[in-house]
Amino acid sequence: MTSVTVDTARELAGGLVQRGFGPFYGTPCGILSRLYRAVEQTAGLQTVPREDNAVGLAAGAALAGRCPVVLMQNSGLGQSVNALASLVSPYRLAMLLVVSLRGVNPDPTQENLVMGRLTEPLLAELGLPTLILDAEGDLTSQVDWITSMVHDLRRPAALLIPPEAFGWRA
Amino acid sequence: MNKTEAIRAIIEATTAEPIVFTTGYACRIASGIADRPNHFYMTGSMGLAASIGIGIAQQTKAPTIVVDGDGSLLMNPVGLLIAGASETLPLIHLVLDDGLYASTGGQDVPSRAADLTALARACGYRRVLEIDDVASITSLLGDELEVCPSPVFVRIRLRGPDLPVTARVTGDLGDHAARFAESIRAMMKP
Repeated sequence: MTSVTVDTARELAGGLVQRGFGPFYGTPCGILSRLYRAVEQTAGLQTVPREDNAVGLAAGAALAGRCPVVLMQNSGLGQSVNALASLVSPYRLAMLLVVSLRGVNPDPTQENLVMGRLTEPLLAELGLPTLILDAEGDLTSQVDWITSMVHDLRRPAALLIPPEAFGWRA
Repeated sequence: MNKTEAIRAIIEATTAEPIVFTTGYACRIASGIADRPNHFYMTGSMGLAASIGIGIAQQTKAPTIVVDGDGSLLMNPVGLLIAGASETLPLIHLVLDDGLYASTGGQDVPSRAADLTALARACGYRRVLEIDDVASITSLLGDELEVCPSPVFVRIRLRGPDLPVTARVTGDLGDHAARFAESIRAMMKP
């Protein structure tokens, strides 16, 4: 773990909270563990046992006027396809999905390779604008983009997290 | 009491409180009886009605009604665990139990051996009720909409044939969500 990765998680969590995002719903993922800690310390995190239920909770929060964030692994994106296709997308519910990329370099685990390959095309077909986090790049402009999509335009969007962004190792 | 009578009783007992109706006939019957802005018709995402209701109740902290079905509850019972763990959540979780997947042709729901109320209790709901008549729905909602201190799970046993079901929900779903969100905003205004 380098200080850069810790700072990236903190900076991202802080940036989202500062722009009015929340509540935050988390589902099991190792790549996101540092981000979970940062979110927990900044805004609080509700852990949810299954991803499509987290999307359902976020749908309720969006209908109540909030700007919710669902953090999940891309395996959970698979679990959430119907919730996104039949609820979030047609009802135009504003929420940010933070999706970690298992099965993408440097994660060689075979059970994750297919979902790793499917993640971006799946989000594109669902009509969700997507940004891949550049942990080395300017975080402010990336948070600006997310804010313009979800907060200002009130539409769903996704932020993809490469495996090593917060220091995860295969 | 059939499904239409149960839904009519729920609608007549409410004014502006948010109600999430589950997939299938529940939405169609409700919109046919009265299409009010406080109704959310969840036309897809079968199994997620409780999760949406929990999300609303957590943010508004105001009584929120979910009209679920036995089939849709069993499609994804995880909502029970989430609500059961939220001791002070003002969630009124109504489950219309006819033992059938009515809108897909009336197949049996494979729940003969299951006890839905025991399941809710095991998931943490401290208040679990079973009712089977219109007067009980009216009096229950009268009380719970006044004060709902914790999640309440209500199995509503249905019997008897239903009326012919009204048309599908039409209109843009995005506009529908916006109308519902506006009604929550109006309800929350001091």
